[in-house]
Parts: sequence; C-alpha cells; structure tokens
Amino acid sequence: MNEKYEQLVADYLAGSLDEEGKLRVEQLIANGEIELIEFKAIEQLHDELDVIATPAPSSDLSTGFYAMLEKEKAASRPFSFSAVEKLKAVFAELTMPRLVYACLLLIIGGFIGDQFGRNESKLEELSAEMQDMRQMMMVSMLEGASTTDRIRAVNISAELPVADEKAIQALLFTLNNDKSVNVRVQTVEALSRWGDNEMVREGMVNAITNQDSEVVIIALADAVVSLGLKNSAKELEELLKYKELDINVQQKLQTSIAALL
Amino acid sequence: MMKVKGGDLDKLGLLFERYNRPLFSFFYRLTSENSLSEDLVQSVFERMLKYRTTYSGNGAFTTWMFSIARNAHIDHYRKNKRYNEIEDFDEERIGEAPPEYAELDERTRRKKLLELALNKLDSEKKEVVILSRYEGLRYSEIAEIQEVSESAVKVRMFRAMKELKDIVNTLSEEYSDE
Repeated sequence: MNEKYEQLVADYLAGSLDEEGKLRVEQLIANGEIELIEFKAIEQLHDELDVIATPAPSSDLSTGFYAMLEKEKAASRPFSFSAVEKLKAVFAELTMPRLVYACLLLIIGGFIGDQFGRNESKLEELSAEMQDMRQMMMVSMLEGASTTDRIRAVNISAELPVADEKAIQALLFTLNNDKSVNVRVQTVEALSRWGDNEMVREGMVNAITNQDSEVVIIALADAVVSLGLKNSAKELEELLKYKELDINVQQKLQTSIAALL
Repeated sequence: MMKVKGGDLDKLGLLFERYNRPLFSFFYRLTSENSLSEDLVQSVFERMLKYRTTYSGNGAFTTWMFSIARNAHIDHYRKNKRYNEIEDFDEERIGEAPPEYAELDERTRRKKLLELALNKLDSEKKEVVILSRYEGLRYSEIAEIQEVSESAVKVRMFRAMKELKDIVNTLSEEYSDE
C-alpha cells in the first residue's frame, strides 16, 4: 500500500475523515487498492485496544509531588531572615518534629522489643497501644509549623487501620483550616480512606463550601464522587453559584454534580 | 501553566491533579513498571517547574507536557542504554506462553496478547499508538512531540497497527499450539 493510502487509513482510525474522505476509503477498498480484510482487521484491533487498562498510581506519587512543590516554594521565597532567625526557623520547622518523631519510634520499638520477648499474649494490647501512639503523634505533628511535617502527619493516618474520633476531628480541622493547599489536598486523600465513617462523610461534605483553593475543591469533588456522597451535590452547586471559579474547575464541578445526581 | 510561570507555584497542584493519571498511564504503557512510571511522572513535574520560564503558551499545554514526558522517558533509557533497542519481532523467538495462559478465559487471553504485542513495537510506534489511541492527541500534536512531519506520524500509526495485528496473530497461533 502506498504512503498516501496509509495516511488515509490512519486518519480514518482517528475519526478525523470527513464524508468525502470516508467515501475515498470506500472507493479504494472497492478498487482493491486497500485490502478489505486487512483494513477490517486493523479497524477491529484499533477498537479492541480499549481492553488494555492501566493501574492507578499509588499515594506515594502525590506525597512525593507535594513535598517537591513545598521544597521549590521554600527555595523561591525571598531571603528576608537574619542568620539567627533562619537558624531558629530551621530548628522550629524541621529538626524538632523530626527529632520527636525519631525518639517516639525509638521508644515504641524498644518497648515492643521488650514486651514481645516476655509475653506474646500482650501483642494485641501492644498493637492497640501502637495505634494510640501513632494517632497521638499524628495529631501533635498536625499542629506543627512545618508544612512538610504536617503532610507527613497526614500520611501517618494511612498506617492506622481504624481511626478514632480524635484523629478524624484533627484531620477535618486540618481540611478546613490549614493554610497550606498541599496539606489540605493530602488530607482529602487521607480522609477518603475512611469514607465509610459517617463523621468523615459528613465532615467532607461540610468542608466543600469552606474551601477557597481550586486545587482542594477539585480533590474534594473527586473524593465525594468516588464515595458516592449524593448530598454533596448541593454544596458543589453552591460553589458554582457563589464563587468565581476557573472555567476548567466549573466544568469539573458540573461533571461531578452530574455523576452524583 | 502561565500562572505557574508567573510565580504562582500552587497552581502546579491543579495541573498535577488533572494530569498525573494520564501521564502515569502514558509511562505505564511504555514501561509496564509501576514504580518507574511514578518516578517519571515526578520527573515531568520537576522539569515543568525547572523550565517553566520556557513555556510560551502557544499551542496546547498537553503537547508541551507530553514533549517533556517523552524526553524524560528517553533520558531514563539512555542512562540505561536501552532506548529504542527493542529487537525486530522474530517469529522464531517468540518464547513460551505467559504462565497460566491456557487457563485464562478468552477475553483475558486476548487482552494479554494485545499487551504483549504492544510491548513488542519499537518505541516510536508505541508512542504514536499510545498518544493517539489512549491520550486522544491529534496527529499534528504528536508530530510536534516527536519532531517529525504529520504525514510521518500517520504512516507510523498505520504501520504500527499493521505490525500489531501481525504480532497478535502470530502469538495467538503459537500459544494455541502449545
């Protein structure tokens, strides 16, 4: 087959041929310039390619991206601190929470090692204690000054098999009040994991109209659709009605509302 | 992206939320590796930040994004000296059917064959199929990404589909004989 015909078939596959073009293909098939059996087989295969699905990326991708973005934002901020102030900021924002985190892990590890050797029957009790410790650590880190540490705190919630009221309240408070968009986006993802919890479902719906960031609004719209929170359609409609939003965000919300109704 | 270029870096989050899945799918279809695909997506967003001042706003954003993605993929494989080193499909060296192939139902078997066949295309043809068929890009946009003429992309697309059909048929016959 010559290259002109090959290009014509490629256009046909992409659905970009007008009526005249389609007629031309039919004529070439009728004349035997394009082989009918091969053409049909290629067309069928092109349609069939839909069956090859891809998996979803893990939450590591999102965590890595937002950590990178925070780092870039910090690096692009104008230098306005004195050396001492900057040193203080480094200690306040980075070293202390990390130090606390490391110490807690050390204590927990030592405690488990000690208890495990003595009595295996205490494993369940220890596991519950571990969860309490993690929750405590998460809540405490959520109150920290560093955005990176708050993102890390939100991600600790992924390690908790079940969440108690205090952890959920802390995450919902973060979703409604944290000053960092990236922390709030990660919080939406973290809360979605506990989407079968009524407090989480209600909290996410109520958080919609509190948001001023379009990124968080999109993340919340995706979450409420995937959790099937039909009562959130009203909140999304309110956003559309009263907030000035980018056209892409408006389209996204309209699609989400349609999916919910 | 113009807002990111102007210094509003938070807007990159909006782009990430919208495009991380299509980019991940693009890389996954090229590499079949989860973790590598995630690394490459991260690399694309890092490059977007690094080269944000070069974004002109002319043409579709997705064309610019997939050009960066393509370069990230090429750079990765050049480091490993494997880019475009897929050998020509050799009927004599098909190898054994995938494990448990015989026990799969017909639909899953067909899906497996298509996946295997797609992976046997050379990188340029595979890119055209993925960008056109899965990412919905126009041939003119793919031409810009691959830095060739639009006609060349159309010819590549046709030949990729023809090759794909032949590979699927060969694999299907060979595996059913086993």
